[in-house]
Amino acid sequence: MGANKGDEVFINEIKAGNQAAFEAMVLKYQPKLMSSLVGYTKSVDQAEELCQKTFIKVWQKIHSFRGDSALFTWIYRIGINLAKNDFASSFSKHSKVTGSLDQNEHDVPEYVSPEIQLIAAQSEDKIMEFIQTLDSDTKTAFTLREAEGRTYDEIAEILSCPIGTVRSRIFRARQLILEFMTKENIINE
Amino acid sequence: MNKDLEQLSALYDGELSREEIHEGLKKMNEDPRMKETFHKFGLISELVQRKTQKKSSTVLFLKDHLSKVNPIISNLFTAAASVLITLIILYQFDDDRFQVNRESSLQLSSAISSEEAKSQLLNADQNIMEHMIHIMQSSDSHTSQKISKNWIPVGFSVSPNNPNQYSNGRNNLFFHLENKQLGIKKVEYFRANNNWIYLIPLQDGRLLTAYGDIPPSVADPMIQSIYKRK
Repeated sequence: MGANKGDEVFINEIKAGNQAAFEAMVLKYQPKLMSSLVGYTKSVDQAEELCQKTFIKVWQKIHSFRGDSALFTWIYRIGINLAKNDFASSFSKHSKVTGSLDQNEHDVPEYVSPEIQLIAAQSEDKIMEFIQTLDSDTKTAFTLREAEGRTYDEIAEILSCPIGTVRSRIFRARQLILEFMTKENIINE
Repeated sequence: MNKDLEQLSALYDGELSREEIHEGLKKMNEDPRMKETFHKFGLISELVQRKTQKKSSTVLFLKDHLSKVNPIISNLFTAAASVLITLIILYQFDDDRFQVNRESSLQLSSAISSEEAKSQLLNADQNIMEHMIHIMQSSDSHTSQKISKNWIPVGFSVSPNNPNQYSNGRNNLFFHLENKQLGIKKVEYFRANNNWIYLIPLQDGRLLTAYGDIPPSVADPMIQSIYKRK
């Protein structure tokens, strides 16, 4: 899968040196990257540091991005490679030996506490339940976009409605979800 | 304001013309609240996509299912990412015995004092880590290749709920089989909390991965049996 239409917008603008586009891309993908890196490192601090390093690298290397994969896939690979490099450094630090084999055994650290999730786990279910309560047209347009990655053109064709309607339904869903999240104190206003 | 936010939503989806993009980016640049909203769209996307992937992922579905059956083994999945960054080769085994090979471990230990050897070791680990990613995060079916009945440890039988899961009532075990061996010449195994991952290179060039809450004492006869029957 190559870069999608949404990504292309950012890629072309960033390649042209548009810093606002770069910032928008960071805002868009930061939650997803953070989530992946927190899952990977089990440390919010480490994930934040890696996230920052990743986007710096993205800015530096964007010209080498050929669009063979989705933009986030490329960003994710950069982030994971940085995480692996970190691991490699720590490995060399922590692998001093050890006469005894038992001392060579490294257990996985405790699973990360729920507080560090981007959206608390108990709130995730509430949000997903709320999405189910959206009216059918709004929910379908939103799901086709977010869960299936369909373009507005494709959604318009599937739902047999104008693109403008798709656009407003998807926005409406996002707006209602944000209102719900604010009301439930999941995010600040 | 709603019109601006609707445009922001379309900008987020990359569904604007070039002129509209510039206009949208300019508005975002001038209004921190719009930046914040754009970021919140990202939070929603992350959540919905992750939750949707979970539903369609066999592995993650198993995690949910297993947490009810066996909370210990479910940790294997929740700790999967940890495995990737913290697993260290513990032991290697000779083909004909499945016991701790102290000598090879000590060789490993001394090898990592050499920069070149350390680099080689880390590269090898990277391949293994990729394999772990594949196993833990792939939503592909693990049944694409048939698991030989001869590989199933004595006392284990297939779960009625899941053809990939084997259980002896106390411990659970999953198999994953594929055509690459990652340069692994001998059985290697890894520990993550109370779960274990065994990488077993087969003579026909495939790699059998067994994972579950089975300690080496239980896996030992299984691996010996696999090698006897090869």
